[in-house]
Amino acid sequence: MSDELLKPLLRRDPIVGRWVISGRVDKNWTPEELKKFVEKHEKTGKNCPFCPGNEKMTPPEIMADRPQGGHPDTPGWRVRVVPNKYPALKIEGDLDKRGIGLYDMSNGIGAHEVIIETPDHFSELADISVDQIQKVIFAYKTRCLDLKKDPRFKYLLIFKNYGRVAGASLEHPHSQLIALPIVPKRVREELKGAHRYFDYRDRCIFCDIIQQELYDRIRIVADNANFLAIAPFVSRFPFEIWILPYNHSSDFSEIEGDEIADLAQILKESLYRLKMALDDPPYNFIIHSAPVGDSNSEYYHWHIEIMPKIIKVAGFEWGSGFYINPTPPELATEYLKAVEYK
Amino acid sequence: MPELRRDPIIGRWVIIATERAKRPHDFSKTAESAVDNPEECPFCEGHEHMTPPEIFAFRDDKTSPDSPGWKVRVVPSIAPLLRVEGDLGRRGWGVYDIMNATGAHEVIIESPQHITHFGKLSQEQIRLVLKTYVQRIDDLQNDPRIKYVMIYKNYGKEAGGGHLLHTKSFLIATPITPKRVKEELQGARIYYGYKDRCIFCDIIRQEQEMGERLILENDFFVAISPFASRFPCEVWILPKNHNCDFYKITEKELTSLAEILKEIMNRLETGLNDPPFNFIIHTAPFRKKVKPGYWKTLEWDYHWHIEIMPRLTRVAGFEWGSGFYINPLPPEEATKFLKEGVNNE
Repeated sequence: MSDELLKPLLRRDPIVGRWVISGRVDKNWTPEELKKFVEKHEKTGKNCPFCPGNEKMTPPEIMADRPQGGHPDTPGWRVRVVPNKYPALKIEGDLDKRGIGLYDMSNGIGAHEVIIETPDHFSELADISVDQIQKVIFAYKTRCLDLKKDPRFKYLLIFKNYGRVAGASLEHPHSQLIALPIVPKRVREELKGAHRYFDYRDRCIFCDIIQQELYDRIRIVADNANFLAIAPFVSRFPFEIWILPYNHSSDFSEIEGDEIADLAQILKESLYRLKMALDDPPYNFIIHSAPVGDSNSEYYHWHIEIMPKIIKVAGFEWGSGFYINPTPPELATEYLKAVEYK
Repeated sequence: MPELRRDPIIGRWVIIATERAKRPHDFSKTAESAVDNPEECPFCEGHEHMTPPEIFAFRDDKTSPDSPGWKVRVVPSIAPLLRVEGDLGRRGWGVYDIMNATGAHEVIIESPQHITHFGKLSQEQIRLVLKTYVQRIDDLQNDPRIKYVMIYKNYGKEAGGGHLLHTKSFLIATPITPKRVKEELQGARIYYGYKDRCIFCDIIRQEQEMGERLILENDFFVAISPFASRFPCEVWILPKNHNCDFYKITEKELTSLAEILKEIMNRLETGLNDPPFNFIIHTAPFRKKVKPGYWKTLEWDYHWHIEIMPRLTRVAGFEWGSGFYINPLPPEEATKFLKEGVNNE
């Protein structure tokens, strides 16, 4: 590995132009330092609305994987999707955009769903079978395809908050989907950055990143026939991981067949390596995909970003959009690779 | 019905989740407190040898640097994120860009006594702290490598406050204008281009007129709950006199700012049971060696101010992915609460 990359550097994300301070002047942080910040999360398993038998505690289900059939909102499911009981946005009504003096507002229209990833309260994505994760990914895809039909929705965001520090309020393994009436700012920035690169080079920046990572070979965390998992060159967080499909596609919901199986495999492997390297840290993951109606774009490439939440984001990051990452991604890769994965 | 509100300056959207509106008291449970031992505190008077040599201090006559007798003291960070030495060395790495981590990272020690909350400082002491900020920015603007100076506070564990509880703020000087700052400047410039007025001046006028988000005002400042507050009980303090550079603040304004800042800090502390918070001074970048036409109207279109963000809700996957925030407390409610703060005591 090039020693140059282990020195404190300012690294610029080539897509959105965000800068990251990577590496430390005194000593780069290894898992030893990072683990001190990882809060233990022990599950109590009490009064869980997502456990089998408690189906009545959630709003009526939207879909479920029931291999033996059976009635909705009863046990016997493997993956279950329900509306969020306390939605950030409501599904009924119109946007009704309006102004108050110089301010703009609209009604909070949108969908907010919860994907319950397994009936087993005490397991996690890093532990459950690849087959089970495939069912989860299939549920994501199915919900996207359905929500895309609603003309009010411009963007579908799928994400997971794991652990209290990362914003999870319930213990039971779950992810969430929010359908938004506008394309959010961060997404627009990312699209703009990718578009600018494409204008200049006539190539997809994510495809170029894949090429460079396969050539450098110092940030590859895992790979299989259809996907590559890397510690991104401009990691904002220690042990950040991105999963990219080799096949250029801008829309996650078009994933098919082998790709679903391979994504399940690499997602599990990445989360497992992360869990082992850092004593089960809290994390968020987000599926970055093109806005509704913008599929087949040449310049955008869907992917998943996994962001371990070990160090608190403080005033400087808020004010500047600069991030401070004490573990260079090349170092994180070494530790992630060292984890034994069968 | 939950609302989507758009920050008029940088275009960030916030979900005001009225449906699950919470009372400010619901958040205070998560506020965390801790203790610390002054004997081991490197920022207490008499422990000057425990920090790197001081950069600046307000101190009594005939006292020497790195000895007792100071009121506010500035030292380099013991583990700086950016180093003062060396050049930028901008270069590429395949598709990526890198440069050396050059800049400054300083700690402003706000009191010689072991006080842990900013609001507990006297108004005069807060004025000296603010004056120290001004001095440091004024000094750093002489360094041609530095484009921006950011001054901020992290208070409490959830807000990224470290293990040292002694009241302090930080200064980071960067060789580029940070992205968020640029976005804010751009938003202000677009509005100015359209209306020929400063958006912040317009916000102050509208808030004074409407009143429902105006928390406090004194001679030179207003404190408001911003229309698109990202966090419950977020507060912005804006100078009534238009100026883009914080460090050009007048002596009278300094006194007035110390007064309003102390009052707001105390109301947040008592009202929310000592919440963790971040505060950031938003000010214009240095404007030397500019490209022609660059920042041409900045002095008219930008308006420095302070943003105080209590950190009682957690920023999770959704906010990260979208840049949307979910705020369960409408700012109008927060204003009522922060206004009543005094009467409750």
